[in-house]
Amino acid sequence: MDLGFVIVSAVTLACIYGTLAIGISITWSSLGLINMAYGLTFATAGYGAWLVGDQLQAIDAISDTTWIVGPIVILAGILTGAACGVVICAVTFIPIHDKPNFTVRGLIASLAVSLIGTQVLLQVFGPRAKSLPPLFGDWELPIGNVVITADKGGAMISSIVLLALALRWMKSSRRGLEIRAMMMNPHAASLVGIGVRRTGFYVMALTGALAGLASVLLSQTYYISPFSGLTPLIKGLSVALLGGLGSVNGAIVAAVILGTNEALTSALLGGQYALITQFLLIIIVLLFRPRGIAGILDKAREA
Amino acid sequence: MSKTYWNAPVASSEPQGPILEIKGLSAGYGPMRVIHDLDLVVRPGERLGVVGLNGHGKSTLFLAIAGLTGWQRGSIKLNGREVGGSRSQGPGRYTHLIVRQGLAVMPQGDEIFHGLTVEEHLDSGAFTPRAWRERAPRKERILAIFPPLRKLMKVPVGRLSGGERRMVSIGRGLMVDAALFLVDEPSLGLAPKIGKGVMEALMAIELGSSAMIIAEQNVALLEGRVDRILGMHVGTLKGEASTSLASQTKRDL
Repeated sequence: MDLGFVIVSAVTLACIYGTLAIGISITWSSLGLINMAYGLTFATAGYGAWLVGDQLQAIDAISDTTWIVGPIVILAGILTGAACGVVICAVTFIPIHDKPNFTVRGLIASLAVSLIGTQVLLQVFGPRAKSLPPLFGDWELPIGNVVITADKGGAMISSIVLLALALRWMKSSRRGLEIRAMMMNPHAASLVGIGVRRTGFYVMALTGALAGLASVLLSQTYYISPFSGLTPLIKGLSVALLGGLGSVNGAIVAAVILGTNEALTSALLGGQYALITQFLLIIIVLLFRPRGIAGILDKAREA
Repeated sequence: MSKTYWNAPVASSEPQGPILEIKGLSAGYGPMRVIHDLDLVVRPGERLGVVGLNGHGKSTLFLAIAGLTGWQRGSIKLNGREVGGSRSQGPGRYTHLIVRQGLAVMPQGDEIFHGLTVEEHLDSGAFTPRAWRERAPRKERILAIFPPLRKLMKVPVGRLSGGERRMVSIGRGLMVDAALFLVDEPSLGLAPKIGKGVMEALMAIELGSSAMIIAEQNVALLEGRVDRILGMHVGTLKGEASTSLASQTKRDL
């Protein structure tokens, strides 16, 4: 077993899963919505990035310059994700958010949107998988006997930087304060002039953008297909559950744990066992901490 | 909705209509009706006490003004603008708009964000663009009213004592120029001395042409210090006395 390779894979996976899980976690705690359409956002953002990447490939002058193509494609993915999040918010959150039993209704509504959207993607783009151009060039960074390849290094750096920016924005700006206030007490939030619906759009745009980022990064390794959102949704949800729904810090810790687990399993047992060990691990942790790792530290929304 | 409204009550000196005018308000939750055809007029500069037992609708009256009850009907005019109307569901849907008309609610109990620090809490109260720009001097002003908060600015509110939380809650309400302050049981659950201190601070706030309604169970804390005292009994207002007469007036409670 190559320990260096395992570590690099673990950190890369942790970055990508963490990005997804934080999105799911923020949506749940601020809107009370378990966003089953998050996988759809993921897939749509992948297609958005692919469309833009395809157009750029056609322009001869810049088709080989990664430092131009890469950021544009990433940005396209993020923007498509944000737009898709806004649409999902308008369809599943706005009409029913103040009706009784919103938690279950929202779950079902977003699941329905997800199923419809996946079929639309299938109809428009066809079942063939697409691949993005390499976004981070072709370099290798040897640290000791560990080699960090371009796609992994780029994924790590861009997800950490963009996540840090997003979390910093949530810490320092008025909008971020509104989102955090709504995560803690939606009832009191309206008393300080925070509109639930408007904040809903901000939250869904932000989390959609995070899904878009994760989608672009993961598509350096995997392909984009209409159903490519399903696995990330499951992974993101399970990381968010393990970390404690509603806790950003918990999601980061859980992403590191599950990323390590997945990389170790792939190296020791084989990739096909990754989901089995992952859920065993989640079950064991939840037996001891039913609210997840940080579920008691951060008092999240009561389910 | 006009964006200048929250400054208007403080600046204008011309005689104006009532700050709050409630006509025929009924409100409740589900099948339960808590407030029955209530009428109330509050004029600028007035400090009004509402006294009554638990479960007689004081808090519900405040929640109804903020649009947070399960359902309500009747007219509520804040600064001459209708914010009430009939509504059968959707509590809180329009609350942020009503609040932006110049309403500051300082709720009882734990309507508070546990994880936010005291400073972030005060920031969250500054929801108009102008208040957000001026939030530093405004926070200073509130620290002058509640000096104990100065040391606690970086502490999460969930770790504060009851009295300190009440100070934060009131301070949050003071971050914008509200036309109407609704203070729900400021002394509830506090040691008598601290409760008295919170009440002193409320009385020290200069109202200008805005108004304040204080709901309280302890009439002694209000007597002699508010302009009017109303009794609340099973969802209706009973009796009215100017404060100097409050202890002698025979009230229909």
